[in-house]
Amino acid sequence: MHPDAHEHARLTRTRREFLRDACCGFGGLAFAAMLNAQSLRGAPAVVANPLAPKLPPLPAKAKSVIFLFMAGGPSHVETFDPKPLLNELSGQPRPKEFGEAKYQFIQSTAKLLGTKRTFKKYGQSGIEVSDLFPRLGANCADEMAVIRSCYGNSVVHSAAQYELFSGRVVPGAPSMGSWITYGLGSESDSLPSYVVMPDPDGALPGGQPMYSQGFLPAIYQPTMFRPTAKPVLNLDLPPGVSLKERREALDLLHHLNETARDAHDEEFSARMNAYDLAFRMQTEAPEVLDLSKEPQETLDLYGVGVEPTNDYGRRCLMARKLVEKGVRFVCVVSGGGSGKLTWDGHDDIEENHLRMASQTDQPMAGLLQDLKRRGLLDSTLVLWGGEFGRSPEAESGKGRDHHNLGFSMWLAGGGVKGGQVVGATDAIGLQAIDRPYHLRDVHTTILNQLGLDQNKLTYPHLGRNERLTFVEGKVIKEIV
Amino acid sequence: MVAVFAAAFFPAPVRAAAAADEEGLKFFHDRIEPVLQRECYECHSSQAKKLKAGLHLDSKAGMLAGGESGAALAPGDGQSLILQALRHENNLEMPPDRPQLAPDIIADFEQWVKRGAPDSRVDAPPPPLDPKRDPAQARLTFWAFQPVKKPELPAVKDAGWAAGNPIDRFVLAKLEEHGLKPAPAASRTELVRRVYLDVTGLPPSPEEVQAFLADSAPDAYEKLVNRLLANPHYGEQMARDWLDVVRYAESEGFEYDRHLPEAWRFRDYVINAFNRDKPFDRFLTEQLAGDEIAPGDPECEAAAVFHRLGTVRRNAGNLEIAVSRNEVLIERTDLIRASMLGLTMGCARCHDHKFDPILQKDYYRLQAYLSETQENDILLVSAEEKKDGETRTKAITDQMRKVRKAKDAAEGEEKKKLDGELDALEDQLPPYPATIPGIKDDPAQRTEIHVLKRGDWEKKGDLVAPRPPSVLVSDDLPELPADTPNPRAQLAKWLTDPKHPLTPRVAVNRIWQHHFGAGLVRTTNDFGQNGERPSHPELLDWLAYQFVASGWSQKAVHRAILLSNTYRQSSQNEQAEAAANADPENRLVWHVARRRLAAEEIRDSMLAISGQLNAKIGGPSVMIPVDPDLTKFLYKPSQWSVTKDQAEFNRRSIYLMAKRNLHLPFMETFDQPDLLSSCGRRESSTHAPQALEMMNGKLANDEATALAARLTREAGADHGKVVDRAYWLVTGRAPTTEERRLSLAYLQDQPLKEFALVMFNLNAFLYAP
Repeated sequence: MHPDAHEHARLTRTRREFLRDACCGFGGLAFAAMLNAQSLRGAPAVVANPLAPKLPPLPAKAKSVIFLFMAGGPSHVETFDPKPLLNELSGQPRPKEFGEAKYQFIQSTAKLLGTKRTFKKYGQSGIEVSDLFPRLGANCADEMAVIRSCYGNSVVHSAAQYELFSGRVVPGAPSMGSWITYGLGSESDSLPSYVVMPDPDGALPGGQPMYSQGFLPAIYQPTMFRPTAKPVLNLDLPPGVSLKERREALDLLHHLNETARDAHDEEFSARMNAYDLAFRMQTEAPEVLDLSKEPQETLDLYGVGVEPTNDYGRRCLMARKLVEKGVRFVCVVSGGGSGKLTWDGHDDIEENHLRMASQTDQPMAGLLQDLKRRGLLDSTLVLWGGEFGRSPEAESGKGRDHHNLGFSMWLAGGGVKGGQVVGATDAIGLQAIDRPYHLRDVHTTILNQLGLDQNKLTYPHLGRNERLTFVEGKVIKEIV
Repeated sequence: MVAVFAAAFFPAPVRAAAAADEEGLKFFHDRIEPVLQRECYECHSSQAKKLKAGLHLDSKAGMLAGGESGAALAPGDGQSLILQALRHENNLEMPPDRPQLAPDIIADFEQWVKRGAPDSRVDAPPPPLDPKRDPAQARLTFWAFQPVKKPELPAVKDAGWAAGNPIDRFVLAKLEEHGLKPAPAASRTELVRRVYLDVTGLPPSPEEVQAFLADSAPDAYEKLVNRLLANPHYGEQMARDWLDVVRYAESEGFEYDRHLPEAWRFRDYVINAFNRDKPFDRFLTEQLAGDEIAPGDPECEAAAVFHRLGTVRRNAGNLEIAVSRNEVLIERTDLIRASMLGLTMGCARCHDHKFDPILQKDYYRLQAYLSETQENDILLVSAEEKKDGETRTKAITDQMRKVRKAKDAAEGEEKKKLDGELDALEDQLPPYPATIPGIKDDPAQRTEIHVLKRGDWEKKGDLVAPRPPSVLVSDDLPELPADTPNPRAQLAKWLTDPKHPLTPRVAVNRIWQHHFGAGLVRTTNDFGQNGERPSHPELLDWLAYQFVASGWSQKAVHRAILLSNTYRQSSQNEQAEAAANADPENRLVWHVARRRLAAEEIRDSMLAISGQLNAKIGGPSVMIPVDPDLTKFLYKPSQWSVTKDQAEFNRRSIYLMAKRNLHLPFMETFDQPDLLSSCGRRESSTHAPQALEMMNGKLANDEATALAARLTREAGADHGKVVDRAYWLVTGRAPTTEERRLSLAYLQDQPLKEFALVMFNLNAFLYAP
């Protein structure tokens, strides 16, 4: 651990104090046991379990976050931001008064493109949701706070994805999941604290570094769930080894380590605890990950077992089970592999978004409903969005290019005041003009709901006390 | 900066006019000052509880000097920052979190600035100068900027312990000062294992341990140290540290994560430099400016790959090249600062450093040394060979296309046969022509380097030219001309000046960290105000002094440390309880704490012990087979093209492909850094996924199987001999009676492979003593 990083990882002074903290003070050991205070050959000073749950410094409304990440950039004008004028002006160049935008591919001469989507007002709040998300609209509108005035700094996937996750347009900074785990620890002792469930269709431009802990210690790294029946790496015994044999081997390991133990070396104890925890994960985690015992009604709610919702439904249901067990941050990715298999509708926005929404509408609605009826929505903040929105102008006739100057995201649960729309883009959806909120402001709001102070959640790196919000963000006050 | 500019541009007349502008002064007093007091002083004045952005608005001098974003006021300039902030322009909003001030107030301010900003606050105090932020003052006072002096050896009580080695004198003096004693000497069994692992990254074989134990000559240990420093594995082990520092990777990151197929030449360059003990000043110079000082020299060309090791965003579409250029220059210069200078200046990208006497201008002046540096891919084959290769490639790919077409139409056996044909054709493809990812100076493409306001590429400030940071050079040193020839060689010359206060200190501190787990300054990349103060400043200076005097020999420093009694202490000290209370972090080195092996050391040691290690040195990087789930999440899964020769899979870890978007899970779990920014010091964590990796992971189980086979081969069926051999191989010592008893009981009814796996999970294996 960095010598300056005392704010969130207090050094324990004495052996007695260490034992108290490790065994009692934090209510037992959690998933990842302990971290040696010293890198490599340091002193025996030990930091009590860095993943032990920590009380947030400020009043908290949410305990966990589920991020429904719509990779590739869903169109705001096709989803949550209706623009009648765009339809009227379809086929014409953008009127000058709307200002300029830099796109990745299309030129400034491109023509505006209307949408075929229809919008409907849902719930008591009357939030407008397009016909891409009928279930979400009908069942969840009053839970959702739609921010129509989001913006970011990059119009390129990789850079925008890094900014969405880490607040920087270059890789290397920790993702929000890692920051939050760093700030709050984990409440589960048999599951990882920060889980990413990628889309089985494959990679995204941001790649692995997008989700990573960056310059934070490895203990805050994401656990990538594999799109197989055995999502967690190394959780299964090697072929041909029985659980009984493994118990025998672990017992031998304990005894051998114990005979050679130096009474003053706490890290040795920590390492032996790590083996116990690993064994517990091995036996307990698979139960949480097993969906076969879920009631049919729940599976139906998420669309598990039927296409095209089966895959995203499974992952949303697993996300619910994880937060129920105290997992801090779960990212459920929609979209992966070639651009066409993400929300990146360059060629044909109709075809792309109809397909992507058909896979996600029911699972997302099911998730919100399920969280609510289980009383989990109050403590679980759900965030929906992509790395940017899409251009009001057409690309290749009926597609849309990337667009970072104004787009929509929504939040629900976790103390967010649902049933409202905040901010606005201009009449064609080009620029956020009313109360623009940067991605950093979204980060700030998430931290705020979790009881974390963006200015205090810092880690020293290359001479600067870095934070998720880079310089500073604003809480989106309307929704908290 | 803007203030200086403005003052120069609006000379005396404006001020004279302002002085005489009675009406203007009244206007200020009535309309401006009350607003400043009411709206701004809370955060921007000498009375502020917490001054924001370093900006004082309670004096004209403060407004002109400005804060982090530059001058707040330029008299006469309607774009003065204070006006922009009041008008909510360019993302500036003042006062913050409140409605914008009334339009008539803003109009008053505009009018006031326009008439030259007359200011009646004659008695206002000038903003106080913070000594921490004044380069001239820091140059004289801050420890790290003082010249390295050869310190006097301190007096000690226990002269015997510290007789042989000045290092021990410095360490002992501090211990005695705190009423502590050093730990007793480590046993010879512990010492031999420690020194092998530290110097080569590999454990000693049982025979090597026994040879050392049997050598009763008084200089047995010294001979061993000399032998290990001459062992080629020394270079591999020490290269690892430097590769971390320079965030070495062989792919460019971002979406394409394009490979740099010949970047391994840089890795080999580093290994060779350590093995040949290349003088460190030369080592730095070749990396910074190899292409300038010896154009065409393969070794220097490989060294200069240094500049190409960072992440690069290569996007299609109509984006500005200049933006990516700016990103690359930032990344490259930041690396030089962290790795060589030991002075991170990240904050100064956007504003004068808050804690360090680093001016924003200094940040960009250092960048200016790289303004002409451009990519230069150096072809390693002749033009004919390249052309020939391209022709052959085309012929084969054309053929493959045809076969693929046929395959789409085929079924069953025929399809299989065509698949085989495709594989055969693919094997015939000539390798991509070898190309070193080099650099060169290209004056025609020189980037103009501006100070960027708030670090924003679109907000260009003053033009700057190369110059070292103000805190390290005298005030009257001018900038070099922007078109100065061989700019990087000039930077290298300054950095490696024998009198440089930082370079040698930073270098020896990294060596100390290698052997003791923590540097004398633990923030190895940051010797500035934000970094730590040294635990033993005189010792640091002594090492730095000797280092330069020895001709910048790293081996000399290693040797001095390894031969010290400080290094030879046991990990256990009978006063541990008292010592831990007095110095819980072992800053005084009252013992040598055990260290967990690094990811590479664990893997390499398992390979060596199981007898599988392929100890070949150097050459292209190896891609080992990985879980398909990992390659599936690459932009192009085919990028991970598994090395054909299976014998290569068991090479040392330093030869495994370092790909930014695919980290090997084993390595990552054991704290390998992220390859994205300079890592001066690895974490050493202890957590359950490591236990899962070592008990259930494929690597550990494969090596346990191989070790079990080796044990059977070498010790036969006699469990007593098996247990003895296993302990000697894995921990470098015989088992104790209790260990033997437990092991024998286990082996009665449990598989040998599981026993071998347990051995690899012992603390006695995972930690260097």
